[in-house]
Amino acid sequence: MSTVATEEIKLTRKDFVSDQTVRWCPGCGDYSILAQMQRILPETGVAKEKTVFISGIGCASRFPYYMNTYGIHSIHGRAPALATGLAIANPDLTVWVITGDGDGLSIGGNHLLHAIRRNVNLNIVLFNNRIYGLTKGQYSPTSRPGTVTKSSPMGSTEQPLNPIAVALAAEATFVARSIDSHPQHLAATLERTAEHQGASFLEIYQNCVIFNPNEWTDLSDRRNRDDSILYLEHGKHMIFGKDRDKGIRLNGFTPEVVSLDEVDLDEILVHDATSRPLASILGSMEFPDYPAAMGVIRDVRKPDYTGELMAQVETAQAQRGKGDLNQLYLAADLWTVEEREETEAREITPSSSDFDEMPITGLDEEYIDEMETPAEVLSDFQDLLVTSTLAALEPNVPITMGMRSSLARTIRQMNRHNIGCVLVTDEEDRLVGIFTEWDVLNRVAGLVDDLAQQRISDYMTRDPMSLKDDLPIAHALNLMSLHGFRHLPLVDDNGQPTGIISFRDVVGYLNEALEEE
Amino acid sequence: MNLQTDLKSEHVSHLVVSGFAQVPAGTPVRDTLARMRADRRVVCLVVDGEEPAAVQLVGIFTERDVMRKVVDVPGMLDRPVDEAMTLDPITIGPDASAADALRLMDEHHVRNLPVVDGTGKLLGIMTHQAIIQFLADRYPVEVLNRPIDPEQFPRKAEGG
Repeated sequence: MSTVATEEIKLTRKDFVSDQTVRWCPGCGDYSILAQMQRILPETGVAKEKTVFISGIGCASRFPYYMNTYGIHSIHGRAPALATGLAIANPDLTVWVITGDGDGLSIGGNHLLHAIRRNVNLNIVLFNNRIYGLTKGQYSPTSRPGTVTKSSPMGSTEQPLNPIAVALAAEATFVARSIDSHPQHLAATLERTAEHQGASFLEIYQNCVIFNPNEWTDLSDRRNRDDSILYLEHGKHMIFGKDRDKGIRLNGFTPEVVSLDEVDLDEILVHDATSRPLASILGSMEFPDYPAAMGVIRDVRKPDYTGELMAQVETAQAQRGKGDLNQLYLAADLWTVEEREETEAREITPSSSDFDEMPITGLDEEYIDEMETPAEVLSDFQDLLVTSTLAALEPNVPITMGMRSSLARTIRQMNRHNIGCVLVTDEEDRLVGIFTEWDVLNRVAGLVDDLAQQRISDYMTRDPMSLKDDLPIAHALNLMSLHGFRHLPLVDDNGQPTGIISFRDVVGYLNEALEEE
Repeated sequence: MNLQTDLKSEHVSHLVVSGFAQVPAGTPVRDTLARMRADRRVVCLVVDGEEPAAVQLVGIFTERDVMRKVVDVPGMLDRPVDEAMTLDPITIGPDASAADALRLMDEHHVRNLPVVDGTGKLLGIMTHQAIIQFLADRYPVEVLNRPIDPEQFPRKAEGG
């Protein structure tokens, strides 16, 4: 097979970001998942042209628009079916299926089951927020009993599906779980999902900030999430807790949470991702009775569907030659469908007046209060994050250098001002690059003989991400946490630098803010 | 509710601290730089002792030292890293609070605090980045899940 040149180019996160406006509600957990997907895809080494995202209908299903890869926003619930066809027709593709708890488990439950059962080489990611978000808040197949929604005003009376148990019932060869609010864990689990050959199933607990905002609070609260989550590692003891002082032990067939102070380590279960019974036990451990198991629950290798199917096709072709589709059509019984005389059209009169006169029952009034759960009280700190602008940090006036400046002069300037970062500008003083002490360490020290002969434009990072100072501090935190940027340049409307902010500025400001209270 | 309340109750061991490169004392600066580049780390801990489990921290060498003591100082590349590092750096224990770590960093004007436990084991480097990560995870609605481009507005309604 010939090698396509593009496969050898090292891709970056930016290569996977499309030019489409992202239409999710501010605060939606989907943003976090999108950011981590775009972060890990370059690491998998798969070319953009060989990557396809297929979705059904729902908020999650808008995902393919935002990925700069091939993608199909398909029919409600049918993404696994479409993806199955694609994976078989072109086994070179890496096919991702993006679905939600409604799309994947209700409308398309059947398709999901069979794609998993067949072990088609797909990466299926199910965003579970336990609500229908796009249709504005009806209970979903994963909503807990008692959930009060617009379609369950007295509380859902239904038993929810457990997505992990569903995947295991279909004998999934890879089953994993993660959560949107834990980016490091999410990225690592997405990478494992991508690596697996055959059907990979990843459930992501995802926050619907509008219609079901408190569903995962206990698992997402940074202060005590480690007490609620069991991070699974193959071959390691199932120990959890902020201070790693609790473990999981089997009592007969039933798992139980024990304190490590009272129980010996050799009684604690050791995770084995190849064990089918253990996977069932882990899948059955529902929070809050148990910590939620996160990470790779099951990972085994079995022949994938495409390989098996194509092997049969090859055998058949070897025995009987390549088939002819036309012959196949003509081989069976044939009918000709003839036009009949038109029958009289049946008259349908919608009687909308019937609906207008329907009596309003007392039900709505009675339960309306329960449905309109009062908005969560935001702390002053949360308010500060989104209302206080970057201008409030009183950013330092940036030290700028022209593109033609030598490395020697730039480094002298940085040392004179005792700074770790300079901004580089063009003839019209617009920001074109950033040059930091990491660049000095990584590309200059000991590697460049004559610093005076080299221009900074050859060593800087071009077109750095920059911000206007009227954006909230939360925006800088977002970029710094997602991308690890230690410095963010601020620019005006003309693109000219007006300031620069660092990790330390942001933390320092937030740490002192509200101090008096 | 302010940030300090949170930071006082979070131990350093509960934060995601940064990794570091490591070289034995006496390593030439040139080789130290190569190690840091290979590991993609901005901090290198300089240690004494052979056994990986029983090394002793003697110094810290960071990108700032590269700027100030190496890059335009002739002959430095072949000198041992000991001449450019900071001897006996200030460290912090894993059970100290994040607030303590911040205060220590401010007081001593350092950006990188090696995290060392009671047995002398080197666990990582505490930086402001650990606090940024903590905040992002602590306030996912406000921070992690922000619309990507604040100036981009949908021009037409769209379903599905």
